[in-house]
Amino acid sequence: MALIFIRTTVIFITLLFIMRLMGKSQIGEMQPFEFVITLVIAELACIPMADTSIPLLYGVIAIVAIFILHQIVWLLDLWFKPMKTVICGSPSIVINRNGVVERELRKNNLDVSDLIESMRAAGYFALDDVYYGLYEANGSFSALENPDKSTSTLSLTLIESGTVDDKNLKKAGIDREKLNGFLTAQKAKPKQVVVMTVNSEGRVYFQKKGEKYKILKLGVNGEW
Amino acid sequence: MVKSVIYTLTAIALCLVLFICVEIYLNKQFDEFGGAIDTLYKKVEDESANREDGYAVKKMWQDKKSKLHIFVPHNDISYVDYWLNETCGLIYTGDYDAALCKLEVLKEIASALPGSYTVRLENIF
Repeated sequence: MALIFIRTTVIFITLLFIMRLMGKSQIGEMQPFEFVITLVIAELACIPMADTSIPLLYGVIAIVAIFILHQIVWLLDLWFKPMKTVICGSPSIVINRNGVVERELRKNNLDVSDLIESMRAAGYFALDDVYYGLYEANGSFSALENPDKSTSTLSLTLIESGTVDDKNLKKAGIDREKLNGFLTAQKAKPKQVVVMTVNSEGRVYFQKKGEKYKILKLGVNGEW
Repeated sequence: MVKSVIYTLTAIALCLVLFICVEIYLNKQFDEFGGAIDTLYKKVEDESANREDGYAVKKMWQDKKSKLHIFVPHNDISYVDYWLNETCGLIYTGDYDAALCKLEVLKEIASALPGSYTVRLENIF
């Protein structure tokens, strides 16, 4: 019986560690340890239920072990602040006054497109619609809205982490020459661009690596 | 929060008591069964074992296994059933040499089985 308890504990700790390593992209609205419990408890309940060769008590012990581990993690969370960061992680500021913080995104196994998707889900359709954007420890996205938010059209991503999106370029009616001209004017190469988006009014959000973002103008066909 | 702490401590205490009791119970049951197998082994060696001796061990195992099913995987119990039934059959037909081989396996199972449920590194991983 004690063996089942210890094995459950080992798997619980391993899963928790792996979930923390995977970053916020793998968690949906739950603390990592809550997510681990959700994953494990269903299996623990099902296996002895379906497999008659395993005593039911094995399942019961494993579930009780999960309950005890949950309580211990919860109490550690409450009593020792540093443990909360270790077990549950901490919020990551991915947009600040300078623009997108690529390093924080990478730390959480996310990229600019994940950020844009999260922003859209939160009701923000341009990167400068928020002053601050952050991923909470549970993976949800929170933002401090820019009061001057004036987005009325959808933005297309033209360059993301140094990669040009040819499909969106075509959709925006921008050819490579025009884009290169724009980049030359900004003294940048595509590889040096963190993100470049454009809306149908030609309003460009442009951010070069290590620099603050700029709002610029670029002629587009506006057909989206 | 006090309630939660009490629940947690109670759960831990109950688990510890259960683990210790189960450990003692399993060792005792398999010790007794191992002892019965040893006695039968000696009788088979002397070629004095008869059908009743085999059935006495079988009856003892039947009584024990109904409770052991709560703590031991049912497949492990089936192994003992299988080897014990074969032994009884061989004793009945008077094939003592073959019965000794089967009893050897049963002795090994009775001594090794409780160890496979105790906390050891090789059992954990």
